[in-house]
Amino acid sequence: MSLSFHAGTRGKKGAFQAAKPYLFLLPMLVFAAGFVYYPFLKTCLQSVSIVNFRGEITGFAGFDNYLYLFGRRREFGIALENTFKLTLINVPVTVVLTLLLGYICCRPHPFHRAYETMFALPMVVSMAAISLIFKVLFNPSVGFVNYALGIQSGWYEDRHTAMGGILMLTVWMGVGFNFLLFLSAFRAVPKDALGCAKLDGAGPLRILLKIQLPLISPTILYVVCTNLILAMMTSGPILILTQGGPSRSTMTLIFFMYTSGYNSSNYSLAACVSVVTFLLTFLFTFLLFTMEKRKVHYQ
Amino acid sequence: MSKAFLKKVWETALGVLCLLLGCVLLFPLFYGLMGAFKTPAEFIAYPPTVLPQSFANLQNFEAVFTQAPMLRYFWNTLLVSTLSAGVRMMLALLAAYAFAFYEFKGKRFLFFLILSTMMLPADTLVITNYQTVSRLGLLDTYLGIAVVSFVGASQMFMLRQQFMASPAPIRDAALIDGCGDVRFIAFILTPMSSSVLATLFLQSFITQWNAYLWPLLVTNKTEMRTVQIGITMLTTLEGTNYETVLAGAAVVVIPAALLFLVLRKSITRTVGGGAIVG
Repeated sequence: MSLSFHAGTRGKKGAFQAAKPYLFLLPMLVFAAGFVYYPFLKTCLQSVSIVNFRGEITGFAGFDNYLYLFGRRREFGIALENTFKLTLINVPVTVVLTLLLGYICCRPHPFHRAYETMFALPMVVSMAAISLIFKVLFNPSVGFVNYALGIQSGWYEDRHTAMGGILMLTVWMGVGFNFLLFLSAFRAVPKDALGCAKLDGAGPLRILLKIQLPLISPTILYVVCTNLILAMMTSGPILILTQGGPSRSTMTLIFFMYTSGYNSSNYSLAACVSVVTFLLTFLFTFLLFTMEKRKVHYQ
Repeated sequence: MSKAFLKKVWETALGVLCLLLGCVLLFPLFYGLMGAFKTPAEFIAYPPTVLPQSFANLQNFEAVFTQAPMLRYFWNTLLVSTLSAGVRMMLALLAAYAFAFYEFKGKRFLFFLILSTMMLPADTLVITNYQTVSRLGLLDTYLGIAVVSFVGASQMFMLRQQFMASPAPIRDAALIDGCGDVRFIAFILTPMSSSVLATLFLQSFITQWNAYLWPLLVTNKTEMRTVQIGITMLTTLEGTNYETVLAGAAVVVIPAALLFLVLRKSITRTVGGGAIVG
């Protein structure tokens, strides 16, 4: 009975069977299309169009928006320079610092559960909360840092030091997660490789450079990439602490995009900044991956 | 002095050094938490101190909840984070199921298409997404805050890896016994991968809990704000001061930190699963 039943409905059932995997994928694809791909294409389109304050496209502008953007050196040029500065300092400092922490914690010493938890904890602290704490900690008059160092620095209120303060904050925020990644990577290095090297009389530095670092290089690449993207997107601490100031010393690309798009409703300008930021980030990641072919070791 | 004893001393010294490093790293958090107990007079006194005179001073915490509708903010953030993480896990689960157990035309392309969403940083898309959400009439709604985080490509990827590692005979046996896909997902696959699912859910939940830029953009009404925005607005309200701001920060950090301490092990393991060794 059941066999003939199946035979009778094979056509319909077969089509449904074939459509099944697509049905499972559909919900995710719908949202990926609506809130990732569609806005991306729309941003690209708006960047070469004339857009009114309601976000409607009213004409074609060619590269005029970009020329206008590149002409605004005092804002865009500074935002570009600041973002580069932030990325170029933040990424190496974060990577070296968390790599070192991961290396020290590789072998469990006494109290290892306590200090490993301490190093990882920043990953659950929200950007808003830690920004506010830094704001008080580095306050020129009541903050503890100036007192402890015995200096009179304005930190976030001085254009020479504001970027340094933002950098300290972003490095702090990156410690937790990257530390955990490096810790697991160091611990996953096969014990026999280390044992052999030791028997051959290699010292700790040699083992680190010749065995451990090459073996964890995929994790290093991953951490460099994710931090590079995060650093290029820096905007939250700027919104909370400095509003791009003092005298534009902490103006970043995404902050500039945010203010021109949301505050001034200049959507085509915001779209241009967004496209430039995306292209630069993409270019940097691409360069890293071409380097990967030569340097990163996969087994 | 034996060699073993010296080694033990050296190991303990390294452990203590690491503890000290951890204290330095967490000093800002400690300072913030302690500052939340200070009185205004203590705060402006010179020299500044780290510890408060008394932990009985809870006025600042009281102020956080009375000067701003902080309970409402907590409720909003709880709802939005649950919605965002829940839908994200559901979409990721279904997609990962299709990729792990089915062969179909365009599989590689669709897989690549979903993973590529990771290459388009959400921060560069906020202005256009704002226009979409505004046109859909979703400004100042929970759905509007959560909707942009429904796609979790990395969660989908991790679940797929997990499913592919599960033994194939289980699914074959279940399907032969007449178990449909939905029942298989609900009653066999989900319990089987519950620990990974729970950790990924938690990770998504905390990300949404801590989100700032997007919720700031799509909420205008005071009663629709999230906690993260709520605590930063304490700085602009009249009559608020450093102590209140620090108490606000503490109120937001403490639940997340406690959750982290309780679930430290499974979080560490899942993050570790993402580490790649050649």
